[in-house]
Amino acid sequence: MLRMLLAGMLAANRLRLALTVACIALGVALAGAVHSIHSSALAEIDRAAHMLSGTADLEIRGPRGGFDERVFLEVARRPEVAAANPIVDVDAALADASAHVRVLGIDPLRAVRLQPAFVADEGRTGGSDAARLMDLRHVWLSPAAATRLRLREGGKLRLVAGTATVELTVAGVLPRMDTVGDLALIDIAEAQAAFGRLGLLSRIDVRLRPGVDARRARSDIASILPRGVLASEAASTGPRAEAISRAYRVNLDALALVALATGAFLAFSTLALHAARRRQELALLRALGLTRRGLAALLALEGALLGAAGSVAGTVLGVFAARTLLKRIGPDLGAGYFSDAAPFEPNMLALAAIAAIGVGMCAAAAWWIARALQRMDIAEGLRDRSADLPRSSAPAVPIAIALFLLGFPLLLMPPAGELPLGGYGAIGAWLLAAVIAVGPLARALLARGERVESPLAFLALSQVRQLPGHLAASVAGIVVSAALCAAMAIMVFSFRVSLEDWLAGVVSADLYVRSGGGGESGFLTLEEQRRVAALPEIAAIEPLRYERLALAGQAAPLSLVARPVSARILRGFHPRPAEMPADSNDVHVWISEAARDLEGWRAGERVTLPIAGKDVRVRVAGVIRDYARTWGAVILPLDDYRRLTGDTRAHDLAVHLARGVDAKAAEDAIRRALPGAQGLVFEESGELRRRSLEIFDRSFAVTYALEAAAIAIGLAGVTSSFAALAWSRRREFGVLRFLGMRRRDVLRMLVLEGAATGTLGALIGLVAGAAISVVLVQVVNRQSFHWTLEMHWPVGTLAALLAAIVALCAFGARASGALAVRAEAVSAVKDDA
Amino acid sequence: MLQVRGLAKRFEPATPLLESVDLDVAAGEWVAVVGESGSGKSTLLHLVAGLDRPDRGEVRLDGRALDFRDDDALALWRRSHVGFVFQAFHLLPYLSVADNVALPLALLGASRADRARRAAAALEAVGLALAAPRLPGSLSGGEMQRAAIARALVHAPRLVLADEPTGNLDAGNAATVLECLRDAVKRAGAAAVMVTHSPFAAARADRVLRLSAGMLQAA
Repeated sequence: MLRMLLAGMLAANRLRLALTVACIALGVALAGAVHSIHSSALAEIDRAAHMLSGTADLEIRGPRGGFDERVFLEVARRPEVAAANPIVDVDAALADASAHVRVLGIDPLRAVRLQPAFVADEGRTGGSDAARLMDLRHVWLSPAAATRLRLREGGKLRLVAGTATVELTVAGVLPRMDTVGDLALIDIAEAQAAFGRLGLLSRIDVRLRPGVDARRARSDIASILPRGVLASEAASTGPRAEAISRAYRVNLDALALVALATGAFLAFSTLALHAARRRQELALLRALGLTRRGLAALLALEGALLGAAGSVAGTVLGVFAARTLLKRIGPDLGAGYFSDAAPFEPNMLALAAIAAIGVGMCAAAAWWIARALQRMDIAEGLRDRSADLPRSSAPAVPIAIALFLLGFPLLLMPPAGELPLGGYGAIGAWLLAAVIAVGPLARALLARGERVESPLAFLALSQVRQLPGHLAASVAGIVVSAALCAAMAIMVFSFRVSLEDWLAGVVSADLYVRSGGGGESGFLTLEEQRRVAALPEIAAIEPLRYERLALAGQAAPLSLVARPVSARILRGFHPRPAEMPADSNDVHVWISEAARDLEGWRAGERVTLPIAGKDVRVRVAGVIRDYARTWGAVILPLDDYRRLTGDTRAHDLAVHLARGVDAKAAEDAIRRALPGAQGLVFEESGELRRRSLEIFDRSFAVTYALEAAAIAIGLAGVTSSFAALAWSRRREFGVLRFLGMRRRDVLRMLVLEGAATGTLGALIGLVAGAAISVVLVQVVNRQSFHWTLEMHWPVGTLAALLAAIVALCAFGARASGALAVRAEAVSAVKDDA
Repeated sequence: MLQVRGLAKRFEPATPLLESVDLDVAAGEWVAVVGESGSGKSTLLHLVAGLDRPDRGEVRLDGRALDFRDDDALALWRRSHVGFVFQAFHLLPYLSVADNVALPLALLGASRADRARRAAAALEAVGLALAAPRLPGSLSGGEMQRAAIARALVHAPRLVLADEPTGNLDAGNAATVLECLRDAVKRAGAAAVMVTHSPFAAARADRVLRLSAGMLQAA
């Protein structure tokens, strides 16, 4: 009998079921694709890190500029160390400023013991290729680097070193390094000499003797390292990348799951309508002896089948989409966390969990309907007076209010593992409150409809005010997707305006100069800086130097920005407190909001920073905004940096032009002043700001796509509900035709119903979205990325969103009702129609 | 008031349903049409109402012929001149009883006050004044049919058409409804045609005609 009942359901409802399965599938596919792309990227990073680490157990890392190479001897001599490999790791810019490539300088004879893949062929270790690896001016490329740079054996690789260029000859390609991304290997001495790292190392890979306790060894080795140099487990790049990108990935996953939830509302609507239309049949089953539990099981099974079909289809679709996207555009979904190509490597457990969520949501929808039907009066159901589900006995308004109030304590929760779970909880509670409030709000907002004169409007508003349960579920889908879109639109707009304002303050010079288009191999010496500053075309320069400070216990190092600091410069960073500190013997620094949150530092506090291998006590003068990084950053006055480190180099120059001088003239003058500098890159501040905003817009492209999908699913849901409702109202339309309404009057009435429904859903959604946007900006964003943003309201965009939803609902209602209205009035009112 | 001449309709080529039906109904006269199931009673009603197009023939109300080619014109004509009572009542479930009754007036553009006043009067006439604010789902079958009768007559139509108005009612309710319908029709002075297969219902009419072999004859 179960099979017969289920088969009946499937046969009677094919189109609508197909649409529901499609929407569930789309939601599952989106969530699955986003997660698969990220898991593939992380797997690739981890694989590359392990490949590069080879058989190493530990790795020792220091600041970006390197640490004293004497550390290597101290580590290598320790009794617990079996082998140690010194490495210089430089992100070098190509001479044509088009890109950069990671260059590893290694000692090949040591490296072969830890990273055999670094040598072309183990069988030829003692042969000519290993010798060529030790040749100065020779470089070995990974397969990915060779492909991207279009180089093969004998080709020339030109890299920026300072303001000069170093030319290397490609000795060959290392086939076993096919999973490490873009990589170039040279002799360590060559790397040190070429990139100004004489006496410095970036990393030491260590293999311990068999039987040595790795944790104990790490602790012992760490105790002899200079400040700012840390020992960690090998291949720590993977966990670091995972930690840095976690907030971004979780936020994107949450967005995709909201799209899935919107599809679940469609499933609820379909199941609810179907149950409503089968009230008499289900009442008969109850009269014949089916228990409440049996009825609930039947409906739950229907829901689970729907969810399973959608989830299976969605998983397949998501896998296909992820594979295709990885091949076509790579793993970077816009935020710039993952740049290297990655083979498809989904997390099957996560995909199964997403599919289970899809099934679970449908089963939950079915359970909710079953609860309503369990309250059905059997006698009433047999008479089949109503075409809707029994109303819930629980009062909607108090529940909605309770959920709304529940959101506030959730907002006060601190982050858990740097994830704003309390913020997500508040968003979920407020969304649920908005959904539950749809029915009561429909009645309250449309109560004025009783005073409407137009009969069509009166009928339309009366229908929507009563809002059948299944239509309410579809409107709830509109509410959720509209709220999501509105919240993201407000948040992104607030972010963009805040970013624009910040860029205007931070990128305040006229022209920016750097050696090399990216990476860290380019720099300008003090002499070069002075020559530029002395030019008549130049009013002033601000040298900028970047460094990384590794702090124990932190997944990501702090960024150190050494630069001139003044009240004018600081203003652009929105410091708190805003005033410059009084003159004192202290070294003052300004920390970013991320550093404040991650390190727990406060303005006025004295903290210790590992600079140039020493512990340096500094005073935190203030907290600044830094939208360029989600990890911590510290601004240190350039004079103090140079005094502490003796390093007078600069990565960038921020140039203020003399009055009446344009950027082109300044650029020409600088090039003349630095004739040996090949690879200088000039960028006007306007172009730099524009490019930054472009990157910002691109990073949200995936977000916009997910929002569009959620809206499409929501609209598909409401259109589908309209179609089903219109079809079930054929008799009513026939009666209205009997009473003298024309076909086009009926269609106009449907348009008004669609517009009223769309307006209802969009208005509730916009209000909910506005509240959620405040949570996103003030809680989620702050706890995830540690950024303070001002609220800005994109009134035009929100109005356009409202208008679009209303128009699409009106159009959808008309289109979906056209078939029902087309039926002849006579046949429509027949008892057996 | 109502004149039908030579009305013919067939749905299948070999089987004509109505051959050549003639019918005259005076103002305030209540005519019952009886016949076997499938004899074409409802079809006759639908043709008279302009809801279907005859193969041949003419329908006139107050001397004016219906133009079966113009669907919109027929709808507007029905709106002003015709009241319907259905077997299955067909009250809109999301409107109150009063709003259901007032629906024809709303379609005619009557003001809200006028609609309320006349709907109240119509409900009073059928004994449902207290049911005005309730939803149809809370009424019994007999009550719903009386509300449908009120809706059919609220706008003072010239023609009332009832299709098996007691088909879904028990004997007691049927009698009440028929009494109600008769009073309303007489009060309104409308021409009324009722199709039924119930001899009990037919006996209440002023005149009974039998539809057989596509032709109307006195019963």
